Amino acid sequence: MDGTSQQPAQTMVKQRHQSTMTGDPLFKGLVLTTGIGVLLVLGAIITVMAVGGIPAFKAFGPGFLFSAAWNPVSQHFGAAAPVFGTLASSAIGLIIAIPLSFGTAFWLTALAPPALSSVIGMAVQLLAAVPSIIFGMWGFFVLVPPMAHYVQPTARHLFGHVPGLSALVSGAPFGTGLLTAGLILAIMIMPSITAVMRDVFVSMPTVLRESAYGLGATRWEVMRQVVLPWSRHGVVGGIVLGMGRAMGETMAVTFVIGDSNHIGWSLFAPSNTIASLIALEFPESPAGSLKLASLMALGAILMAISFITLWCSRVLLVRSESQAGKR
Amino acid sequence: MNGQAMNSTMQAEPLDTNTAQATPLAIQVRNLDFYYGKSRALHGISLDFPERSVTGMIGPSGCGKSTLLRVLNRMYDLYPGQKATGEVLYDGQNILAPGVDLNQLRSRIGMVFQKPTPFPMSIYDNIAFGIRLHERVGRSEMDGRVEDALRRVALWPEVKDRLQASATALSGGQQQRLCIARTIATRPEVILLDEPTSALDPVSTARIEELLDELKTEFTIAIVTHNMQQAARCADQVAFFYLGELVEVDSTARMFTTPRESRTQDYITGRFG
Repeated sequence: MDGTSQQPAQTMVKQRHQSTMTGDPLFKGLVLTTGIGVLLVLGAIITVMAVGGIPAFKAFGPGFLFSAAWNPVSQHFGAAAPVFGTLASSAIGLIIAIPLSFGTAFWLTALAPPALSSVIGMAVQLLAAVPSIIFGMWGFFVLVPPMAHYVQPTARHLFGHVPGLSALVSGAPFGTGLLTAGLILAIMIMPSITAVMRDVFVSMPTVLRESAYGLGATRWEVMRQVVLPWSRHGVVGGIVLGMGRAMGETMAVTFVIGDSNHIGWSLFAPSNTIASLIALEFPESPAGSLKLASLMALGAILMAISFITLWCSRVLLVRSESQAGKR
Repeated sequence: MNGQAMNSTMQAEPLDTNTAQATPLAIQVRNLDFYYGKSRALHGISLDFPERSVTGMIGPSGCGKSTLLRVLNRMYDLYPGQKATGEVLYDGQNILAPGVDLNQLRSRIGMVFQKPTPFPMSIYDNIAFGIRLHERVGRSEMDGRVEDALRRVALWPEVKDRLQASATALSGGQQQRLCIARTIATRPEVILLDEPTSALDPVSTARIEELLDELKTEFTIAIVTHNMQQAARCADQVAFFYLGELVEVDSTARMFTTPRESRTQDYITGRFG
């Protein structure tokens, strides 16, 4: 820029100024539109769901939330069964996914040789990229038969007569049901939980890690007593993030959950989640019907639950980041 | 560069003019080479650490002094690609050999870092952490060990009423003394300090230096420092490193008055570094 002759340099500066003068506001307006667009779309979705659901809430009152009925013939609809199915299948998914994710993240950050760590790390990311319809098909054709032929009979054989546990394994061996859905969900949310955990584990200051090793701690002791307490907000945030994903997951769950509006203890009983129920019933719901309104209301409930969990996870993750920045 | 030649001279007559000759040696480093991947950070280092005395390690940034420290407790082992060859004899054993119990080694050779590194737990638990790793200790004995460690670093009067408070709430100087207390609580034989006062104010620094003077009656101490005055005040012998080589090692008095090497002379008089 410190050109040999003064004149050309000055014109260059002038030209640049002019172009920014016109380009900047234009670009600003453009990105402002897209930003506001996101807000509008979100608002529109929420409005449509809420407004669409109003007839259902009007017809059934607050009882809509607590009724397990879903009877198109008698026009009785309730949200309790699919809400239960959503929470139960997500809970099962989390119970399976948390140890898997933690183990994977621990291994990737503390134990794996670097070459293997990057390969496995990449594979975990690829798992997140598998479309959910693939998981659904895989679950239906590969996972469901052994669940019906081996897993449930074995579980019934082992726990069928144990008081307290027998309820968990009761029912006919369909292969589809809460546990199968939970398994699929676990596989689907495990990559994102693992990724978050790995990030928060890695973000711990090296000196803190080395201090713990310097006292003669083993890798497990360092993880258990220093890394985990240090990164607890991030870990919980990652888990809640996974939970949010699990609750909204539709296609894969629809394949394997068995489609039954039913609340019960059995892990093997067919059930429904909000998402699977909407997916299955939507095509058969005429415009203006009470059934459609009930589905809309269910959608609004699902959105509310998802927003709350995602917001919680965001709060926790931000807290973990600010903690990481403090040290 | 006649580093190779010079080092071999030093091996031929190790510490012949050193007063530390009389005391037994805690650690003997022999022909140590160190590699970060392919780049070589230490060249044929041979250095003795006499028992119950303070060895100061000085030199400009990147000279390898911290690297040597991290070899002594095999901290480098955490990082694939870092490699040491040669011998480090400690308690009659080459600690670089495979099969050494690293957790036990690190409990016997403790380390204090440049920045205070309190764990995210209470003051009490910070001290108890290291003890619990290696010993089963009852509640009352643990209380005694924690108090003892905190008294040794003169932190007890300041924290005795808030042992359950978070250690991260302490001041920087207090945190560093806590880290030293945490290290000595596991009853090591050697303490490695990597520029322990570089993040502290002068008053806190003075307290740590006083502390070192007391601790050396019981522990072998190796301290890396950028601060020449600190080396002069604290150390019994001083080793000067330059570009990954040990240029010279001698008693502190001789090192700062009549160094043999011109490079040492230049460094301690502040001509470079």
